Amino acid sequence: MDSSEVEFLAEKEMVKIIPNFSLDRIYLIGGDLGPFNPGLPVDVPVWLALNLKQRQKCRIVPPAWMDVEKLEEMRELERKEDTFTPVPSPYYMELTKLLLNYASDNIPKADEIRTLVKDIWDTRIAKLRLSADSFISQLEAHAKLDNLTLMEINTIRAFLLDSLNCMYKLRSNLQPGSSKGQFTDY
Amino acid sequence: LFYMLYLTNVKHVLCFQRVALLVASDIDALCACKILQALFHCDQVQYTLVPVTGWQDLGTAFLEHKEQFRYFVLINCGANVDLLEMLQPDDDSVFFICDTHRPVDVVNVYNETQIKLLIKQDDDLGVPPYDDIFRDEDDEEGGDSGNESDEGSEPSGKRRRFDEVLFCRGSVCHVQYEYHGTSASMMFFELAWVLTKDTKDMLWWAVIGLTDQWVHDKITHMKYVTDIATMQRHVSRHNHRNEDEENSLSIDCMRISFEYDLRLTLYQHWSLYESICNSCYTSCNFKLWTLNGQKKLQEFLADMGLPLKQVRQKFNSMDMSIKENLRDVIEESSNKYGLKDIRIQTFGVHFGFKNRFLASDMVHATAALLESTEKDESDSDNFIKALDSLSRSNLERLHSGIELAKRKLMAIQQTVASCICTNLILSQGPFLYCYLMEGTPDVKLFSKPIALTLVTLSLMVFFDVEKGTVIVVGIPPESETSDKKNFFGRAFEKAAESTSSRTLHDNFDTSIIELKTDDRSKFLDALITLLS
Repeated sequence: MDSSEVEFLAEKEMVKIIPNFSLDRIYLIGGDLGPFNPGLPVDVPVWLALNLKQRQKCRIVPPAWMDVEKLEEMRELERKEDTFTPVPSPYYMELTKLLLNYASDNIPKADEIRTLVKDIWDTRIAKLRLSADSFISQLEAHAKLDNLTLMEINTIRAFLLDSLNCMYKLRSNLQPGSSKGQFTDY
Repeated sequence: LFYMLYLTNVKHVLCFQRVALLVASDIDALCACKILQALFHCDQVQYTLVPVTGWQDLGTAFLEHKEQFRYFVLINCGANVDLLEMLQPDDDSVFFICDTHRPVDVVNVYNETQIKLLIKQDDDLGVPPYDDIFRDEDDEEGGDSGNESDEGSEPSGKRRRFDEVLFCRGSVCHVQYEYHGTSASMMFFELAWVLTKDTKDMLWWAVIGLTDQWVHDKITHMKYVTDIATMQRHVSRHNHRNEDEENSLSIDCMRISFEYDLRLTLYQHWSLYESICNSCYTSCNFKLWTLNGQKKLQEFLADMGLPLKQVRQKFNSMDMSIKENLRDVIEESSNKYGLKDIRIQTFGVHFGFKNRFLASDMVHATAALLESTEKDESDSDNFIKALDSLSRSNLERLHSGIELAKRKLMAIQQTVASCICTNLILSQGPFLYCYLMEGTPDVKLFSKPIALTLVTLSLMVFFDVEKGTVIVVGIPPESETSDKKNFFGRAFEKAAESTSSRTLHDNFDTSIIELKTDDRSKFLDALITLLS
């Protein structure tokens, strides 16, 4: 999977906007949206929110978790625990990037939020790498990781699968009498 | 007729139509075009952008597009000629014109169906009242009562007939001078504001458009200051909207600020010394092409206590202690040396940690890109590149524009210096005349010869080797009270007629024409007699 695909999936998340136009309910394949009334908040998918924002037809309200204090707490918790802590949103990284790119004027203290989210991401990725490293080197058969998001899984997926394949090939060549290719004695 | 405000129902009509945008090649037009494009994107109006460089281009573009488009928006072209006469459009074509060229042709003003002008009400138009120049058909019919066979077939209601006689009598003065009105980009910004779709980007483009008019000497100082005040109101409104002690803006957001900054071109992207040497204002006042002038410059720098080593390095690397009070220090010293207006009111923008630009920096950079003379680049390529450099996301292009602008300014300075030193300026009766020979660096670099006006040249001639023609630019004398009204346009036309010289009046500015080299002397003779 490509990171842009993950971002595409993240755009289906709902976010609150305040439109400045009015429109009746619209019926789309994925569900109904609206009605839109100027000044009244309404929940829409992120892809629509960004499109409307770029056409200056709405104001985006940052999600509840996108707040400096809450993110600071989460960061501290993440640093203390060895395992993965629950995330604010299954797509926290993508949403942060999208919303801060296009709507940073609607989000207070945008720079601090960006830094905090990056800190949380870095801590989790470090834990993920440690875990993958021990999994491979200790030849474990299975592992259980809670609270991982799709983006994080996607980051490690290619490396983990390829290295596990390599390990399997090496291991199967070492077993004497195995059906896979034998080393000839030189 | 006039449309001071863009009526929403007209806008509604345009939403479902495709529009052809015909844009002239100057920075103000580019900025206005950017604003309009942003507005079109908001409402998803389909449009086609066509850059035009002169009347012929305009005609060709119109012919190419008249089948597919009913609505045309003309930016900085078309107001000062009888457009319907020139283009011969179908009856259902509608033209929206936002043009700074004045005077506006009276036929355009009084046409009610096909031509819509976007003009500010208090712009000094000096248009004679309707009755003075148009005579209605009814008066004529009264006199023709004897002709029975035609009367029944004539439709009722008044028909207008443009009465040549009355027009010539009533408004000879009206078309004598050409000048410029409020910048097109400011007009479009006001439009966006009325529609409450104005953003900081649009505001910045409007500021750049206004600064372009000032940098290229198209408006008076009074008008510039008045317009700056208008822009300042918008800037404070935008700044108030977003800044709050608690919720400060991200550093990447664009911040526009009012600056009372130095009139040294590109000084923040160059070294201070280079900027002083290559800005028209300082180099002309110090007369830097003479030895005396050079000495004066050294004295000036010493007077301010600026060591030469500091002043010659890149501005960003100068010591902080020097940079802090630079503007005040320079202003004080300049007053001593007779440079009274070294500071000018303008705006600056900054976004991100690195990017700071003044409005005049952007004008020079974009102008250099627009008129760049690299081989293999057509005019429309340059137009698109210049248009791109105005977006915040194309900083590389902007920086390359700044480099080109630096080279252009240095070339201008060298040429000016050599002209004056080698006495190429001749006095021909009512005007001064300077002829630049073949050997001068690339001719097209000088299609904006405004730098030379400050040296009080009133007429310049450039030599274009390829076409065997000469480009003639007429600039009225520079004075404190000049109202920037240029009479050279009409003078050129009359001189060309009387000597039947082969001329091409293609530029939207009637004071810039092309002339066949062979006709040069008789044209100049005619011009001399005309202006005496």
